[in-house]
Amino acid sequence: MTAFITGTGMSVPEGVVTNEEIAERLGLSAEQIFKSSGIRRRRWAAPGTTTSSLGAAALRFALEDAGISAADVDYLLFGTMTPDRFIPGSASAVQKQSGLGEIPCLDIRATCCNALYGLQLARALVESGAAKNVVVCLAEIQSAWLDLSAASGTISMLFGDGAAALVVSSEKREGALEIIDILLGTDGAYVDDLGIRCPGTEFGTARSHSSEEHSGDYGARMVGQSVILQAARKITAASQKVLERNSLTPDTVRWMVPHQANANLLAQVARSLRFPAEGLVSVLEDFGNTSSASMGIALDTLRRSGRIQTGDYLLLPAFGSGFTWGAGLCRA
Amino acid sequence: MALPKGVTDFLNDSARSAGAEQPQSGDDLFRSGVLDSFALVDFVTVLEEQCDIKVPDSDVNPANFQTIETIERYVESRKG
Repeated sequence: MTAFITGTGMSVPEGVVTNEEIAERLGLSAEQIFKSSGIRRRRWAAPGTTTSSLGAAALRFALEDAGISAADVDYLLFGTMTPDRFIPGSASAVQKQSGLGEIPCLDIRATCCNALYGLQLARALVESGAAKNVVVCLAEIQSAWLDLSAASGTISMLFGDGAAALVVSSEKREGALEIIDILLGTDGAYVDDLGIRCPGTEFGTARSHSSEEHSGDYGARMVGQSVILQAARKITAASQKVLERNSLTPDTVRWMVPHQANANLLAQVARSLRFPAEGLVSVLEDFGNTSSASMGIALDTLRRSGRIQTGDYLLLPAFGSGFTWGAGLCRA
Repeated sequence: MALPKGVTDFLNDSARSAGAEQPQSGDDLFRSGVLDSFALVDFVTVLEEQCDIKVPDSDVNPANFQTIETIERYVESRKG
């Protein structure tokens, strides 16, 4: 049995935040932010907005696109780094808000690779016959976690809020993308180079390791140089490997739909793969880095543009905290 | 050992693009702007091709490529 992406959807908050609005607080200029990231604006949710509500909105669009109803969904995979609550996972909240049946609902925590992990699991569920219609829902509200001071300027300038959803089904329909292959990898040696330490059992919780005394452990940490160096190498190698094992070369791929990390990094990867710039799909300028949701937002934007032709190959590379990385391959 | 011409050409081109002086053997390539994180990724690819070595991902950090001297030592260690 083959698995297809039969529907996509996205949802972003209404609030547009331009570089000009945040640059001074971040100790940067608007142009510096753009030059170092490719980002001009991002969406930030109003206080009180939950990640699950943004995810549920994207899910509705994806179901509509796939031509199925909530009752047809038999598995939900929800990827986020910014859940509604510490426990339980936010998949339960998405299930309730979306009117899904009493189906299995699972949170995945593979950070910026959540879309790839979700697609790999969804594909396995569909191909094994365990499910017919799996929704991979991806959402982030990161604005609430950002430190808007100069000390964290180069981290906080990157992130936006948003959600995407992908319907993976056993039945092909017009505009569907066949999931051909997904390759994933992890190296836990870099666990401290990107992420948020607390709360957790390693460093502690609010009771044992107060946020007042250890504020740095409750905010985003990023060793930018390590992230860039490892991401550029790992994404390129994963992309080459997934193409090679399917007897393809970069020049046979029409679209690269990557995790939207940073425009300079994406350009670097495209250059390393000798991949033409016109096939690189980027929504960074308008939405920033929406982590889990970014690849889905880029894919939904591309699908709805009508530019994908039957037979086109799509390469989906990603890299995230962990470090974890990978590349997916689809065919229209 | 001296670095192959293709490697020094890369560094000299990069210095020109950054408006920096042509790097000498003990100059800090990052402080002078000859290399940054993105340029280092391209540089390592050139180094692998020109010196016929494989640089493991775990070695791709600025400490191994800080100066022309450290790069020469690193290449020797990979060949050895």
